[in-house]
Amino acid sequence: MEKSLATLDNGTTCSSWNYSGQRLATGSVDGTLSIFDSGDPASTSFKCTSKARVGESGVVKVVWIPPLFGDAVACIDGNGSLSLWEEFAEDAQAVEWKHSKSFQSNSAKVLDVQFGVFRTILKMVVAHSDGQVKVYELSNPLELKIWQLQAEFQNLTDSVAKLAKASCFSASISWNPQRGDGQEMSFVLGFNSDTPQLNSSKVWEFDLDHQRWVPVAELALPEDRKDQVFSVAWAPNIGRPYEVIAVATHKGIAIWHLGSNPDTDGRLSVERAALLSGYEAEVWQMEWDMSGMTLATTGTDGLVRLWQSNLNGIWHEQAAFEPTT
Amino acid sequence: MPGLAPGDSAGGVPDSVNGTLVPYSSDSHVSAIYPLRHGLNPPISRVSVSWGRGNSLRVSVFRQPDSDPKSDGEVGGRVVEVTLGKSRDGEISDAQWRKIAYGSVSPFALLQSRKNSTASLSRMQLSPSPYHLEWWEYVMEYSKDISSLLGDPKTALAPLIEDPNEVFPKKVEEPSSLKAAWELMEMFYVDKLSQAWLPERLVDWLADYDSLISIDLPTVHSKLVEFQNQIVTLQVIEDDPRYWDLISSALAVGWLEIVVKLLRLHGSYRLDQLGRRETENGLVEAVAVLISKMPRMRPAIDAGKIGECFKAKPDFVKAWERWRAQITKLDSSAFWVQCDHRQTREGLKNMLQIMLGNVDVLCSSTCHWMELYISHFLYIRPFTAGLESMYSLAQKCIRLKHTSNPHKLMRLMIGILGENNEVVLAECSRGFGTWMVAHAIELLTAGSNEADILVHEEREDLGGISLEELHRLVYAQLLSSHLLTWQIAPIYLTSCMRQGMGLLEILLLKQPVQENQMLLKNLEICRLYELDGISSHLMEISGMYHWKHGRKGCAVFWLQQAHDEVRLSRIASQLFDSVGKSISGESFKQWEGLIELLGSEGQLAGGLNFLHKYRDFKKCLQHAESRKDADAARQAVESLMSLMRNASTPQRFWLPILYDAVKLLSWDEGPLINVSQTNLLLNKLQELSVARLRPDFVEPELPTQALNHVRYSLGTNLGRAILGEL
Repeated sequence: MEKSLATLDNGTTCSSWNYSGQRLATGSVDGTLSIFDSGDPASTSFKCTSKARVGESGVVKVVWIPPLFGDAVACIDGNGSLSLWEEFAEDAQAVEWKHSKSFQSNSAKVLDVQFGVFRTILKMVVAHSDGQVKVYELSNPLELKIWQLQAEFQNLTDSVAKLAKASCFSASISWNPQRGDGQEMSFVLGFNSDTPQLNSSKVWEFDLDHQRWVPVAELALPEDRKDQVFSVAWAPNIGRPYEVIAVATHKGIAIWHLGSNPDTDGRLSVERAALLSGYEAEVWQMEWDMSGMTLATTGTDGLVRLWQSNLNGIWHEQAAFEPTT
Repeated sequence: MPGLAPGDSAGGVPDSVNGTLVPYSSDSHVSAIYPLRHGLNPPISRVSVSWGRGNSLRVSVFRQPDSDPKSDGEVGGRVVEVTLGKSRDGEISDAQWRKIAYGSVSPFALLQSRKNSTASLSRMQLSPSPYHLEWWEYVMEYSKDISSLLGDPKTALAPLIEDPNEVFPKKVEEPSSLKAAWELMEMFYVDKLSQAWLPERLVDWLADYDSLISIDLPTVHSKLVEFQNQIVTLQVIEDDPRYWDLISSALAVGWLEIVVKLLRLHGSYRLDQLGRRETENGLVEAVAVLISKMPRMRPAIDAGKIGECFKAKPDFVKAWERWRAQITKLDSSAFWVQCDHRQTREGLKNMLQIMLGNVDVLCSSTCHWMELYISHFLYIRPFTAGLESMYSLAQKCIRLKHTSNPHKLMRLMIGILGENNEVVLAECSRGFGTWMVAHAIELLTAGSNEADILVHEEREDLGGISLEELHRLVYAQLLSSHLLTWQIAPIYLTSCMRQGMGLLEILLLKQPVQENQMLLKNLEICRLYELDGISSHLMEISGMYHWKHGRKGCAVFWLQQAHDEVRLSRIASQLFDSVGKSISGESFKQWEGLIELLGSEGQLAGGLNFLHKYRDFKKCLQHAESRKDADAARQAVESLMSLMRNASTPQRFWLPILYDAVKLLSWDEGPLINVSQTNLLLNKLQELSVARLRPDFVEPELPTQALNHVRYSLGTNLGRAILGEL
């Protein structure tokens, strides 16, 4: 039933597929970025086609940059620094993975990075271990070299308040995978930190009129607001009147419905449609399928679980896969 | 958003349980855990997932990194792919599935277009013309088209020399349960003409598919096949009790031609025994004749099958009573006493009891409840029409022949007989997969208004879509999983009113664009469904891909096709930058091509106009230099003057242009540039000298003495020109 697509080198720690599922990028403990290709689109056997040394310490996360900006990835290394790498060929020369940009930060580590596209603009949200969130904008769509810091804030519902530096263990960012130009850009962000106010997932939207990011919703019940968030995932929306966002905490996986019309304060209505509990493990990762109907998750129990809603809108675990030799 | 499960019962892929509408609490639901073999040595440190095409899930499994140098070369992880929702139970191969998937597209599309035109007719309140077919007739045509794709279990043509021992007709190909299910749906929901003789259709259906209906218990079919293999080894067939059992069984389920054939194997027909066993043979033949004259309430009978057909019920009732009377008469005949062969006597008497509708005998002669059910229609309730009390009879038969593990066809059958549309849909999805349910909904809705309401009602729990749309979306997602089938997904997606286009857009955006042919195919799909935004997006991605891979010409072409003004003007300004540098022959050629490609459209016109003129100037200059051609040199001067007069020529190019012009200024055959022209150039040079004092001035990459060199050349030329004009 299962088909092997690729074999990874010893020391590989993370992997990421590009938008079309035709290329795989992996990172390893020795700081190597490897790219796997199948050669032929019909083939399902992927081989390593290029390698690049992207850092001194190991790569802990690889994220593809949207294809509108070339074949490029962002790598976070063990020291928490962020670098961008892209496939590039000078005229008539061989294709190479080249370094485009590094983001150095003095003390805080980068925990997560995700990219969002709005018309021809590429934005990058970076969450740091001191609880700071930075949003960058690419200046020239042809090159990944020059980025402008557009905003810097903390994950708080009260945008005026400021907290002392926090200590965060992990962060999870998920952009609204919108396709149309009608919507504003937005993303959801949650922390796993020692500062309770930062933790709960908040939906941030770019206010075009005032050119700033504002929190428009908080995805946590009042009693759960301090819960540390392990992972968030914004589902593709192919025509629902509301958005669906999954948030994983130690209480389980919550499925949230987010309304589209703001109230007078600019807040969006939220409703927790389900809490998928009875799931002891800590969630590592959540991924929605292309229609936003099925959620796949992984966690510390090593299982891959699939979650769906039945015809009555009741969410449940549909199946699970247990990796075995 | 709620979804339908990837349905499969075998093959290790998740089974669909949420196709049902029966709500259950999520706590009580225990999902199955399937093994995912990766073949790595433990320990495993992490697992990560990613969705590939459609329903395929890619799982990366990482081993704990090994620091032990001895384990060098150990595999560090593996990526495996599982496709969910493949409705496969080994019965149909992947290739056959794709054939079915492709084959069902055109009947589906035709039916949708007919539905749309019927709907628009009724919107205009026009009554359909009398020549129009009834809706169910269109669905019937659709059903037949689809059915023909699912295989043909009809029997092969009879061989010329018939093997007397071959009681069981050979099938051309093995029957498939998918076709069996499709035929059930067709006969109950669509085929209005056969409603009057539904029981007879069920008899035919069972004859075709009896081999499928049971998972663990024998059926009449399986017993017959087993017996047939042993016939040649039997000396005196009528002494074998299995012979008589099987004849009764075959008679009970109405396989009359097999019964007659088996009867004719009876020993009393043998020439050497005919004399001694005359009465016995007479009785056997009498039963065989009676069987072949059995009245059947049906319009026609297939070649090779026996029985007498009646179309009208009154005729049938009369014939039936006459036939029954003959059986009763034979049953009480005095000849039985003269029949010495006990097995023959008892076997034939038993058959008469079947024909007389003796419940106990029918029950003991059949194996499966469906067989018992069919025998009821044949011998106990021959006048049944339509669905009247069919369900309660089925329940009675199930009680008598209980099985703990019913076949998916039987679960579907119960749903149909129970007139429970929700169960029927759920069983279609659970047992036969997403293809079945997406296509069979058309059959179900042709049959009843309630079903029509059920599948078309928009549900809030489903994000505002109907069941019909949901099933099509789920099927389209499955189609998207394979490279060879994703291109038919748009046909199903565009038949979805609410969310189909949304999914189609995502599907297209996930297609790779690196290969031109693939890109063109995707663009064609975009054009077909008027998805201009998506096609621009694909062209932009392609343009950027080529740009980054050093194919600048291709890049500019696709960005232009996408009307991506932002990127194009960036490219134009990069060109300016490279033009500003000193130009060697090679790079001149390259940007010359790009200028050509960029054309002079849109907002880029001003800047590009300059580039065009600059290119002309450089060309003439090269000609003049290489061939020492005075005409070319004069043309170069014209270009030079037009460049320097033009306000759109950026100031930072003035010096490089003038520096290039030094060759013209020191032309051996006399001055090419006259006094007023030289003065203009000198003025420009003066302006440039002033501009250099400003902080934002960008110094061109030229030799440091370039400015002085130009000034000197201009001065010399002015002198030569004044002398020449005297």
